Amino acid sequence: MLTFKIVTPDGVIYEDKVEKVTVPTTSGEITVLPKHVPLVSVLKAGELVAYKDGNPVAMSVAGGVIEVQPDDKIYIMADTAERAEHIDIERAEAARQRAEEMMKQKEHETDVDFARLQATIEREMARIRVAKKWRKLEK
Amino acid sequence: MAVNTKAIKNRIKSVTNTKKITKAMELVSAAKMRKSVESALNTRTYATMARDLMAHLSGVEDKTKYGLLATRPVKNILMILISSNRGLCGSFNSNIARKAVFALQNKNELSKHILDSNKEVAPAGEVKVNILGIGKRSASLAKREGYELVGVYNDIEGSKDYEKVISISRNVIKDFEAGNYDKVVVAYTDYKTSLTQEPRIRQLLPISPRDLDEMLGNLGKNKNSAVVKIKDGTNKFDAGGYLFEPSEESILKNILPKLVEVQLYQSVLESSASEHSARMMAMRNASDAARDMINELNLTFNKARQASITQEIAEIAGGAAALE
Repeated sequence: MLTFKIVTPDGVIYEDKVEKVTVPTTSGEITVLPKHVPLVSVLKAGELVAYKDGNPVAMSVAGGVIEVQPDDKIYIMADTAERAEHIDIERAEAARQRAEEMMKQKEHETDVDFARLQATIEREMARIRVAKKWRKLEK
Repeated sequence: MAVNTKAIKNRIKSVTNTKKITKAMELVSAAKMRKSVESALNTRTYATMARDLMAHLSGVEDKTKYGLLATRPVKNILMILISSNRGLCGSFNSNIARKAVFALQNKNELSKHILDSNKEVAPAGEVKVNILGIGKRSASLAKREGYELVGVYNDIEGSKDYEKVISISRNVIKDFEAGNYDKVVVAYTDYKTSLTQEPRIRQLLPISPRDLDEMLGNLGKNKNSAVVKIKDGTNKFDAGGYLFEPSEESILKNILPKLVEVQLYQSVLESSASEHSARMMAMRNASDAARDMINELNLTFNKARQASITQEIAEIAGGAAALE
């Protein structure tokens, strides 16, 4: 069993003993099983799934760091994270559209602005994707 | 005596009004406190985790490669001083001020870098101190103590100002990398309980696993004890054992600035939780004092009233006796 904990600056999102965790990292999706080698990696926006007693617990994450410690402890520090069932699709959609519009109309003075908008769009797309996928499964 | 009753009555009225205000402020602070304490506690897990991760990684890297880890001999030091915007919060501001002034008086000690092998990097000559204030009160402190103030942010209230804190930390990082400052510390108030808050000083840059405050607390004592203890004390975090994906360099470049942001954000939240708690306590004490005062004044008023009645009766009785 893995001791799994995911935190954001707004608090602990999920904390439990799980069998395995699938995480989107910048170098591709990885699944962490018990006895994994100590690892530090960077997350990208996407879908994170933990398996608890065979049941998937889905979350959307947007950037962050995963640390796999030597004794099967997995800690994730995410910039934002949300349980799939808590995602408000309409709001996510609206936020994405807003960001895309800003992207179109604005002559970007700085690369930072551009990067931030890009990140927002990616984050919202990840949220929408995760929410849609898991909502369908529940029904 | 009869002259007095009116004055006492006015006094009671004004104290009652003051009590109403302090009571209202107490309630407002209590509500704000609940919110800010919650966000401080929420972020604490994240910040602790970030610091632990840093401690695990601190042995790994070739420090010279990353700007944020550079331990240059200190010529310029920046202190980010977190105070409140408004007063009426008890000893909150004076506590943090005392702490900051004490640290800056020992500025040579403050500006030393302690390296792993108990070696020190001594400051280079006279250390110049700059202060970056968060909260209006920090400005007057810097002025009073004669330190150069490089800026004051007075629009940061707590958890909703994440973006602003991030931009401060970006600016500080930029300054540090450009060599304008060789060390950055943050003076903030650590929230322990609603009754106790402790002013602390923490090193922000260069990133170091050592707890600066403990270091300063142990002035002249064994400096090795100031290393942040890894949770269960065992040294299972053999630095070389970690796998980095995609690469050590890209990960550290990604994580290090984030660590600084989180530390600063956490300090702001802790300070804001402490401020509201301190204000709530101060206002509660004020309300209690006002209530006591009103009771006392009521007593005096009644006595004065009674005395004047007695006196009038005595005068009437005396007058009647004189007629007989």
